[in-house]
Amino acid sequence: MSTAVKPATGAARTASTAGAAREEQRLAWMLVAPALGAVALVAIFPLAWTVWESLHQHDLRMPWLGRPFVGVRNYAAIAGDARFWSALAHTALFCAVTVTAELVLGLAVALVMHRAARGRGILRAALLVPWAIPTVVAGLLWRFMFDGRASIANALLVESGLARQPVTWLVHAATAWVPVMLADIWKTTPFVALLLLAGLQGIDPALYDAAAVDGAGWWRRLRLITIPLLRPAILVALIFRTLDAFRVFDLVYVLTGGGPGTSTEPVALYTFDTLLQNLEFGYGAALSVVVFAITFGLALLYMRALGERADGAGARGGARS
Amino acid sequence: MGADRAALTGALLLLIAGSCRPAAPRHGVEITFSGSALGTEGALIARQVARFSRLHPGIHVRVQPTPDDATQRHQLYVQWLNAHVGDPDVLQLDVIWTAEFAAAGWVLPLDHYHPVTADFFPATVDANRWRDTLYAIPWYADVGMLYWRTDLLGHAPRSLDELMAVTAPTARRGTGTAYGIVWQGARYEGLVTVFLEYLGAFGGRMIADDGSVTVDSPEGIAALTLMREQLRTGRAPPEQLTWHEEETRFAFQNGEALLMRNWPYAYPLLGDSARSRVAGRVGVAVMPAAPGGTPTAALGGSELAINAHSEAPDSAWVLVAYLTAPAQMLERAVVGGYFPTRPALYDDPRLRAALTIPADTARSIVYHSRPRPVTPIYSQLSELLQIRLHRALSGQATPAAALHDAARAMNELMDRTHLRTLMARRSTP
Repeated sequence: MSTAVKPATGAARTASTAGAAREEQRLAWMLVAPALGAVALVAIFPLAWTVWESLHQHDLRMPWLGRPFVGVRNYAAIAGDARFWSALAHTALFCAVTVTAELVLGLAVALVMHRAARGRGILRAALLVPWAIPTVVAGLLWRFMFDGRASIANALLVESGLARQPVTWLVHAATAWVPVMLADIWKTTPFVALLLLAGLQGIDPALYDAAAVDGAGWWRRLRLITIPLLRPAILVALIFRTLDAFRVFDLVYVLTGGGPGTSTEPVALYTFDTLLQNLEFGYGAALSVVVFAITFGLALLYMRALGERADGAGARGGARS
Repeated sequence: MGADRAALTGALLLLIAGSCRPAAPRHGVEITFSGSALGTEGALIARQVARFSRLHPGIHVRVQPTPDDATQRHQLYVQWLNAHVGDPDVLQLDVIWTAEFAAAGWVLPLDHYHPVTADFFPATVDANRWRDTLYAIPWYADVGMLYWRTDLLGHAPRSLDELMAVTAPTARRGTGTAYGIVWQGARYEGLVTVFLEYLGAFGGRMIADDGSVTVDSPEGIAALTLMREQLRTGRAPPEQLTWHEEETRFAFQNGEALLMRNWPYAYPLLGDSARSRVAGRVGVAVMPAAPGGTPTAALGGSELAINAHSEAPDSAWVLVAYLTAPAQMLERAVVGGYFPTRPALYDDPRLRAALTIPADTARSIVYHSRPRPVTPIYSQLSELLQIRLHRALSGQATPAAALHDAARAMNELMDRTHLRTLMARRSTP
C-alpha cells in the first residue's frame, strides 16, 4: 500500500514511511490473526489430530489393547483392504456416471431455460424443487419407488412393456445402482443447470448474431461459442459435483445401505461404518485421511485447470478486443 | 470491565456446574437407570421404579431416557463409558453386548452379590458370562420362532426336509400364498440370527471350542445353501434380501406366506383381527432341524448391568435385583408380552393367562435357544459374516466361497485383537 506513495523527498521521510509501513503491516497481521486462528482451530487442528490418530491403533470397544502408536500400519492395512478398494471403485463409478449425466442434462435444461421468454422465474423455482428436498427424504422417496416387486418403477416398466417381469432392483449388485444414480441425477441436475444458466446469461448475444450472419447453424454455434465461453461455469459445476459425488453418503445409506453385500458401498459409507459402527478410531481416521487426500488432490487439480482456463480465456478475450 | 468479565465467567461456571449436577437428594443416595421413556415400556418402567422407591426410601432412582434403537443406545453407552461417567448406574444391555462391556471393564462383575443363577434359563445366564464371571442379569428373553398357518398345515414342519417340502410352490398350489417362507434377509444382525438357527439345525457352530471360526464347516455351507435354495426355488421371495422384521410380518399378516421366522413380538399383532388377515390361524413352534442337528432358536433379549464407575454400586444392585425379581418379570410379561428369563414363571397361571403364546411352547423355545458367540468383538464378527451371507444370497458368490471368505476375515479379526487365545478356554456356540 505504502509503496504506492510517491518517492519521499528526504531520508527522514523515507524512514518514517518505512516505519509506518511496518506499523501498518503489524496491524494487518493483528487484524488477520483472529481469522487465521479460526482457520487453524476449525480446519488445521482437527486435520492434524485425525492424522495423529491414524498413526495409532485405537479401538474404543477394546480398551485392553490400549492406544499404541503403530506408525503407518493402518495405511498399510488400507492398501491390502479389498473392501476399501472396491469402495473406492464404487465411488469412482458413481462419480463418473452421475457427474457426466448431470452436466449433459444440466446444460440441456439451462439452454431451454435460457431461451424461454416468459415464465423464466417460475421455471427456475420449479426446477429447484428436487434440489431443495433433503437428501435423506429424496433417498427414501426413491427407495419406495424401487423397493419390492410391486413398486412404482416396476409397474411403469411392465405396463409400458419395457420389462416382462418385475425387477427386484435392490437385491442385485448391478441393478441396485440404478435407483441410487437416478436419485442423485434427479436431485442435482437443477443445481448444475442453474450454474450453467448463470454462465449462459454472461455470453454476449451479439456473438450469436454475428455467427448467424456468417451462416453458422445451431450445432456450430453451440460447439464454437456456447461451450468455449461456458467453460469457466462448467468447470465450477464440475468441481462442486465431483467433490460432492466423491463424498456421497446419505443417499446410499438410505437407499441400499451399501448392499447387496457391499456392492454399492462408497468410501464415505465404509469410513462411517468403521468409525461409528465399529468404533475403530485409528483405522477409521486413516481412512478419513485417505479420503481427504483424494478429494484435496481432485480440488487442486480442478483449481489449476480453472486458473489456466480463466487466464486463457482472458488472453483470448484481450486479443479479440 | 475486568470485574464484569469475572462476574460473567463466574455465572457461566455456575451454570455449567448446575447443569452437570442435578439437585442432589437431601438424604440417601441417588442412582440413575437408563431406560425407555416411551409408550408402554416407559410407563412400565416408571411404575416399577415408583414402587421400588416406596420400598427403599433411602434410594432415589432417576430414569435417564435413552434411545430405544439398539444401535443408537450402544453408541451412547460406549461414549459415556469411555469417558468414565458414573451415570447411568444401571445399564440396559442388549444380550450381545455383555461380553464387550465386560472385557472393556465398563460393567461390574456381579458374582459377589450371589444372584441365584439356577433360577434362570441356562442360555440366558451363559450369554452374560465373560471368562467365567457373571456381568449382567437376564431381564427378558427374545427368541427366534417359526410361525405357521394352522389353517393350511396340519402341524408345524418337524424337520428341515418337511419344511422344504411344504414350502415348495407345487405343494402350496391352491393355498393362495405367494411365498412358502419369509425371514429377515437384509444385511443386518437379523440375518445372522436366521443363519445361526439353520446352522444349529444342521449341527454346526459359529465358533469352535478352540476359538476358531467354523462358519465354513460343511454344516455351515449346507445351512447357507438351503437358505439360498429357498430364494431360488420360489419358496422365499428374493426381495426379502431387503427385509427386516416388520416387512416379513406384513407379508405373513396379509396371508402371503405359509411360514415366517420372527421374534415373539409379532404374535399378539398377528392375532389382532382389525389389522391381521390371519388372526386366529397362526401357530408357533421351534425351528426344525436336519438329522444330526438340534432345533435352534437364536437368543436375544435385554440384560441389566451396573456401570463400573457407579458411585453407588450396592444401591444399583438392589434395583437390578428388584427389576429382575419374579413379580416384576411377571408384570413385564403381562403388560408387554416380554418372555421371562425364569422358567418357573411359565407355570404361573397369571402368565399362562396373559401370554398370547402357549406358555409351554414359549418355555420350550427358550430352552432351545442358543446365545450368539459370547465375545467382545461380536458386532464386528457379525458384520463380516453379514456381508458374506448377503453376497451369497444375492448371487454374487457361492455359499462355500462366501463362507470361506467370512471365516478367513473373522479369524483374522480374532487374531488381530488377541481374542482367539482368550476364547479358546471356554466353549461358545
